[in-house]
Amino acid sequence: MNSNLAAGLAMIGAIGPGIGLGIGFSKAMEAIGRNPEASGTLFVPYILGLALTEAIGIYCLVVALILIFAGGH
Amino acid sequence: MPILGAGLVNVSIKAEALFTIGPLEVTNSMVGALLASAILLILAWLFVRRQSTVPGRLQGLIELPVEWLGGIVAGSTSRWRGYVSLILALFLMILTANWLGLLPGVGTIGVMHDGELVPFVRSASADLNFTLGLAIVSFVVFVWWGVRINGVGGYLKELVGEPRYMAPLMFPIHTISELSRLVSLSMRLFGNVFAGEVLLATMLALTTAAVFVLPLAFFVPAIFLGLELLFGLVQALVFALLAMTYITMAIAEHEGAHSEEHGSDDDHADPHPNGARQERTATAS
Repeated sequence: MNSNLAAGLAMIGAIGPGIGLGIGFSKAMEAIGRNPEASGTLFVPYILGLALTEAIGIYCLVVALILIFAGGH
Repeated sequence: MPILGAGLVNVSIKAEALFTIGPLEVTNSMVGALLASAILLILAWLFVRRQSTVPGRLQGLIELPVEWLGGIVAGSTSRWRGYVSLILALFLMILTANWLGLLPGVGTIGVMHDGELVPFVRSASADLNFTLGLAIVSFVVFVWWGVRINGVGGYLKELVGEPRYMAPLMFPIHTISELSRLVSLSMRLFGNVFAGEVLLATMLALTTAAVFVLPLAFFVPAIFLGLELLFGLVQALVFALLAMTYITMAIAEHEGAHSEEHGSDDDHADPHPNGARQERTATAS
């Protein structure tokens, strides 16, 4: 019970990367809208930025999953 | 009587042992990893045996990721030939392991052990040992490139940082930031794939009871299965591209001091470096 509550609380940390991913994606779309030829150039840095931002959310998820599946009950 | 389908959410965070050979425990994710390697080996063998100048359908399918990702890697630094095979191997191995976990039967066919299902095959990337192993391999490679290009002294000097009197503070920070790449590379892949498995199991369990009332509910897990296909591709790409970027950073810091050509990070994103090079040679001749 307690570890499930802790897992839920751990996922609060996913708010930050969510906002960050939204900002990153909107800026990338803006850049492609302004300069469509740049979409090829943008691809690799964009994917890397998404991956690095997303990692923070994944850490929360891993902590929450460990609490659920391996935590004490 | 328990709620119908509630027992289906049964995903273990660690791989279950199937049998033991001496001190070695053979787990189901090891079987998954070996199966993924076997698929890649068979594909490579078929590819080498029936190679032709005009690519057929299978050859085109195999050449597509190699040509596309190889083009991106070739645009990173001038020494791309030294690590392009590692990046491609990482990408193909992770992609195969991810997509293997989505096949029907993987994770659902197995033996019952103490009332819990132990599947014969489990997606290799849903086990931290596999992803940590890949991360250690890429970590060793990018440290090796840093040492090879800059020398041991140059590599240590990079860790110490620029104002020498700040070394007691900066050296631990830089060391931790190097080691954190290991953690972030492995945790990202493991977290994504394992979360995907849990997501699929949860969606299946939620809709199993509803299928009897509304048969259309069968398509809900199918949508998430399609989403997991995309995530498997993106995560394989992310792992390979991050390993490439770390190696590029280890090399480019040195090259930037000598020539401006590979100094900035934006250079390596050119998707058609081969085409550009061909044009250059064509105008030169």
